[in-house]
Amino acid sequence: MSSAPATIDGPLLTADGVPLKESLEKSLRRSKLRALLLVAPPLLFLIFLFVIPIGNMLTRSVDDKLINQVLPNTFEAFEAWDKQSEPSEAMFEAVYTDLKNADKTDIGKSSVRMNYAMPGWRSLIKKTARKIKKMEPPYREAFIKADERWVDKDFWLSLGIMKDKVTFGYYWNAIDRTYDFDKNVIHVDENRKVYNLLWWRTILVSVIVTLACLVLAYPVAYLLATLPMRVANLLMICVLMPFWTSLLVRIVAWMIMLQQNGVVNDTLVAAGILADDNRLEMMYNFNGTIIVMTQILLPFMILPIYSVMKTIPPSLMRAAQNLGATPTLAFIRVYMPQTVPGIGAGCILVFIVAIGYYITPELVGGKDGRLIGNMVAYHMQRSLNWGLAAAMGTILLCVILVFYWIYDKIIGIDNMKMG
Amino acid sequence: MKVILKHTLLASVVAVSAAAQAAEVNVVSWGGAYTASQQKAYQETYKDPDSINFINYNGGLGEVRTQVESGNVTWDIVDVLPSEARVGCDEGLFEELDRSAFMPAPDGTSMDDDIMVELPNDCVVPQIFWSYVPFYQEGTFSGAQPTTIADFFNVKKFPGKRGIHTWPNALIEMALLADGVAIKDVYKVMSTPEGIDRAFKMLDKIKDHAVFWSSGAKPLELVQSGEVAMSLAYNGRIGAAVLSEGAKFVTVWDGQVLEEEWLVMMKGAPNKEAAMDFLIHASSTASQAEQAKYINYGPMRASAFDIMAKGEPWFHNGKNIMEHMPNRPEVMARSVVASPDWWADYGDSVSERYTAWMGQ
Repeated sequence: MSSAPATIDGPLLTADGVPLKESLEKSLRRSKLRALLLVAPPLLFLIFLFVIPIGNMLTRSVDDKLINQVLPNTFEAFEAWDKQSEPSEAMFEAVYTDLKNADKTDIGKSSVRMNYAMPGWRSLIKKTARKIKKMEPPYREAFIKADERWVDKDFWLSLGIMKDKVTFGYYWNAIDRTYDFDKNVIHVDENRKVYNLLWWRTILVSVIVTLACLVLAYPVAYLLATLPMRVANLLMICVLMPFWTSLLVRIVAWMIMLQQNGVVNDTLVAAGILADDNRLEMMYNFNGTIIVMTQILLPFMILPIYSVMKTIPPSLMRAAQNLGATPTLAFIRVYMPQTVPGIGAGCILVFIVAIGYYITPELVGGKDGRLIGNMVAYHMQRSLNWGLAAAMGTILLCVILVFYWIYDKIIGIDNMKMG
Repeated sequence: MKVILKHTLLASVVAVSAAAQAAEVNVVSWGGAYTASQQKAYQETYKDPDSINFINYNGGLGEVRTQVESGNVTWDIVDVLPSEARVGCDEGLFEELDRSAFMPAPDGTSMDDDIMVELPNDCVVPQIFWSYVPFYQEGTFSGAQPTTIADFFNVKKFPGKRGIHTWPNALIEMALLADGVAIKDVYKVMSTPEGIDRAFKMLDKIKDHAVFWSSGAKPLELVQSGEVAMSLAYNGRIGAAVLSEGAKFVTVWDGQVLEEEWLVMMKGAPNKEAAMDFLIHASSTASQAEQAKYINYGPMRASAFDIMAKGEPWFHNGKNIMEHMPNRPEVMARSVVASPDWWADYGDSVSERYTAWMGQ
């Protein structure tokens, strides 16, 4: 505070003799602390359930430390090698020293990691490690005796992919690219390309589902907001009941409805609309994923739009018509612009949930309705390639942030209303 | 007020720990008829059945690794597939067990020598053999009936759709067998890029006729409803339908791919001693043979197999079980025993290629 009267020498004091500045600071600090304590629970919640796991995911997607710690001599010998000549005795001795010193579990983990760089490493390392105690120099011969694949220079060359402690290999893998032995990024074989297709399909499905939800939700939300209370409440229950029903129950219900011998097909065939051998394929494919996801995510679109529509005074429409607009024009020019915040919130909500979906595509997607989320789950649970799963998760996060940014540019994030 | 609160808290703590004590050993398995057979054969014959608690899971080591890495282990025993048994033990997710503690066969052979396959590591306890095998419904084909794995890939001779699963395991082996590769050479051929190309070329022949399944019950539905003419399935599912429900399925016992199933103990299992005691009981010759009364998966211990063969009709409802066993001698000669080591090495790259192949 610089506005202290100039006539007083020295600092301004409070009644108990403490300088005013200090006293003010103290009370300010106390209130800051109190505020901090108040926000502590959500803050801790965020840190433990959001910042740490995501940080962990980011680290895992680039981390390649372990293998360098377990096989330090090997990588040193590899660096000294000219990559042209046959691997020397010294290089084999380096591997021998590393395998002999390393912990059994670490060898297991490293061999799994090395297998990502070149299939075959896992059993090669394991088989060699099992015989390492009985080995005697010359090590080259001993290794080749343990497993003849050691003559294959490619295994040695593949070490080049793993020599750094930080790798972007998982990210390249996630978009159908890989490192060659000199760490140049190359495309994977045509017949092994899976992920790019899945990325595009995932984005396509999310966009289609979001648009379908919007088209279906808008009239429902309008009815909810404008019908008399009693009818609207009934309608609201119809919206919320499926929302509260278990996800699996809803999916299975759709299976029963839509499969080849399901209710819909049976009815159409019985009514003579479809021939018995020409039944619609609505389940276990792309269509199945779209239909079921749209139904499941619909409430996420209806509720934000409804809550915004509820706040629009009906008098505005009447005023517009009073001023000469036709009902359609009034609706488009006056009513709809005011619902944009709800539409924005609904779209973002549906899109973000849809892009990471995996249970529904797993169950109803068949072979061409599976999404990137299914691959993340596969690598988390089955192949145990958590690095690749983490890289995919990170890319997914970035895709969402990009869409969020686009949304902010076009509509403006301040314009969003969740309810 | 505080006192009451304290007592309630105390009471609930006691209640929780009592509940934890009542179910001491958590055994994680696949659910369905399979878990039911384990409960009947291992749990109900155990000295303290109430101390065993079965939990279902969907396979994979994801949850196992999460529990071990976070140090918050709640499972004790897990029922795992062959490749998981190896990878998990390599990564230190499972306990290495004292092999001398297990019960020898009645003739004195140690358990490890009694197992029909080579012991992969010291973590595993024998469970069963199961297999991927082709089957069809009686009356599907007029005239000649399919008898070989080559017939499964021959849609000209045996027209109709084919049910296959959404992952490549067993399919690569079968495709090569159908292409004329000898059983003993299958993995040698598969280890070369040309071998994999050859397998996919064979798979191409049924691609336009393929219906994909991913859950074990589905192939039975597909064949029963006539949606496919022939399908691959888990042998246990086919056997259960025939043995218990009187389904008219015919299994083609040629070119089946046998897989192992093991029990393992989690690293840092909360009830290690009790879990070990249960493992010893579950892996005994008698328990293994007992399990075959309820499901037609083949026991891994040769001694248990002998007991069943001599005790026919062995199935609990008085039917013969041997003709449904995937590892009976006459079928073994025409089967491939899956190589988990090959799959651990090349599984990822082949899976990617297979996924791409399905989507094309």
